[in-house]
Amino acid sequence: MQSQDNILKIMNLEIGYPSKKGLNNILFKDINLSGNSGELIALVGKNGIGKSTLLRNITGLQQSIKGEIHFFDKSKEKFSRTEFARMVSFVSTEIVNISNLSVFDLVSLGRFPHTNWFGKLQSDDIVKSTRALEMVGMNDFARKNINEISDGERQRVMIARTLAQDTRIIVLDEPTAFLDLPNKYEIVHLLNKLSKQENKTVIFSTHDLNIAIQEADKIWLMLDDKINEGAPEDLILDETFNKIFEKSNLNFDKVKGDFRMHRKHAEKIGLIGDGIYYNWTKKALERLNFSVDKGNESIQYVKIETGNNSCRWKLTELENKYEFDSIYELSLYLKVQTKF
Amino acid sequence: MLLKKQVIFIWILLSVTLLILFIFDILLGSVQIPVKEVFKVIFTDQSDHPEYLTIIYRFRIPKALTALFAGFALSVSGLQMQTIFRNPLAGPYVLGISAGASLGVALLVMGISTFTVVSQIGVLGSWTIVMAAWLGSGLILFLILAISARVKDIMTILILGIMFGSATAAVVNILQYFSNESMLKVFIVWTMGSLGGVSLSQLKVLIPSVIIGLLITFMLIKILNAMLVGENYAKSMGLNIRLSRFLIFFSTSLLAGSITAFCGPIGFIGIAVPHIARIIFKTANHKTLLPGTMIIGGIVLLLSDIISQVPGHDKTLPINSITALVGIPIVIWIIIRNQKLSSVS
Repeated sequence: MQSQDNILKIMNLEIGYPSKKGLNNILFKDINLSGNSGELIALVGKNGIGKSTLLRNITGLQQSIKGEIHFFDKSKEKFSRTEFARMVSFVSTEIVNISNLSVFDLVSLGRFPHTNWFGKLQSDDIVKSTRALEMVGMNDFARKNINEISDGERQRVMIARTLAQDTRIIVLDEPTAFLDLPNKYEIVHLLNKLSKQENKTVIFSTHDLNIAIQEADKIWLMLDDKINEGAPEDLILDETFNKIFEKSNLNFDKVKGDFRMHRKHAEKIGLIGDGIYYNWTKKALERLNFSVDKGNESIQYVKIETGNNSCRWKLTELENKYEFDSIYELSLYLKVQTKF
Repeated sequence: MLLKKQVIFIWILLSVTLLILFIFDILLGSVQIPVKEVFKVIFTDQSDHPEYLTIIYRFRIPKALTALFAGFALSVSGLQMQTIFRNPLAGPYVLGISAGASLGVALLVMGISTFTVVSQIGVLGSWTIVMAAWLGSGLILFLILAISARVKDIMTILILGIMFGSATAAVVNILQYFSNESMLKVFIVWTMGSLGGVSLSQLKVLIPSVIIGLLITFMLIKILNAMLVGENYAKSMGLNIRLSRFLIFFSTSLLAGSITAFCGPIGFIGIAVPHIARIIFKTANHKTLLPGTMIIGGIVLLLSDIISQVPGHDKTLPINSITALVGIPIVIWIIIRNQKLSSVS
């Protein structure tokens, strides 16, 4: 059974930069993607592969070379400028930092395609702008200036502006790029919430794969030669995810749902212990290029002794025994050892 | 953000200041006329001294009106340029408008004297100079519009505008080098700017031109606000970039070009005044900022004109020097106060 409403359908799209000599500089071709309402879509792929260009094509900021982009089963070109602006809104990577511009003024700019030529805000426009600020939890900031708030707050305001624009589709280019970890999670979670509550199609590009996997309904995965779409879980199970960074040492851990560096382990080390202490000690040892062998009391091994409130690490090397109070001290000692 | 009450108070204060300065500007001049006589002339159209009537109607009122409208025009076009280029140091002349005007005047004044045997200053009536300046800035406007229809990046247009300006200035330099002394002086005096040289019949052309330019700009408030967040965002909200650029460049050139044609290049007003308006009104919204900039522009240029008359003295200083001396401390003060001029516009 398929239940799709085809809000967005991209067919055989070719993107890039046209050149005058007829030799187009093609970034990516054969793009076939779709988006439905109430969906949060994460666009994922390595740097320079064409994520921003694809988003600029979808939002009409750039002309595509070949192929079709359909909204509501109608070609993009058939919409007028204003019709299009009432359907698709955009947040770019550009940081908007204008002194003396209030948060409310910025958000109400989103009413641009709805107001008359003079830009006069009717009561309906004010209500919609206020509600947009409420939806992103920024209603207390309405009178503040846009350059007086934090990066995370500004990103919320930029999202509120798209909500004021009242479009079915919202496109965001790396909305989490400049944010700290809690803000990254909160912004993507907010986007998820908005896509469900307001039944919007929200498309965003990101490098934060962990967050995308957790929150997105669908992932558009740009690989070197093709673009795949599917639920994040589908892409993990069919191994597509592993292909993103094929050429690097990064591997996708299917069980943990996490990327990790592929290391070439030089020396073996035994590790005895259990629980959370075991896991974190193992991570530290692997960082030092040891291949960790559980329970092995061979030539070189670490034993973790947990007490009530303390924990000690006992290292045995042949006849010698050392004790450490922290993983850091242990690693300092091992670093010196491995150097010589 | 200011409260509505505060904004209304500021408006009243600015309007009263503008009115007082306008009257004060009429009261002052190289001929001492008693205050009572001036009011008598204005309100009753009569005076015991017929020469007072002439002085006030033919010289002082035209000059005060010129100062007022030049202030409006230059500051409003400066604001538009700062918004569209998102650059706090942009002004009405970044597009090369004044350079184009000066090329027109230089070609007329010095070109004629150099390449023809006839050198008669009398031939060069004030209207001829105005037309030459207008044609020169019109030429630059035409070039800028042709480019802006083709070039996507707005910064490229800014750089090309500056290049045009420099190229025309170089041509003007060559003309200056080869021209004779008397013609050179005519040109130099023109570059110093003058509010007093505009006759009543010229005002009948200047004022409507400025009013048309201002009307266009007031119709662009919504577009200018959208331009604040950059052309990409403006486009994503449905703005027609080409048409908007055309209207903004056209009105700027009409405003700055007309003033330059009649009064010569007057610097610093266009850069400094929009910043003063931002500090006073604490907003970037053009709905307030545009009329605010306009009225403060009138105030600053009237004030500069009053200072240039050196009260109590019969000499008038070049207006361009006064606006620079008034404008530069303001710009410096803004830079030091804000410490972040880069995000002012």
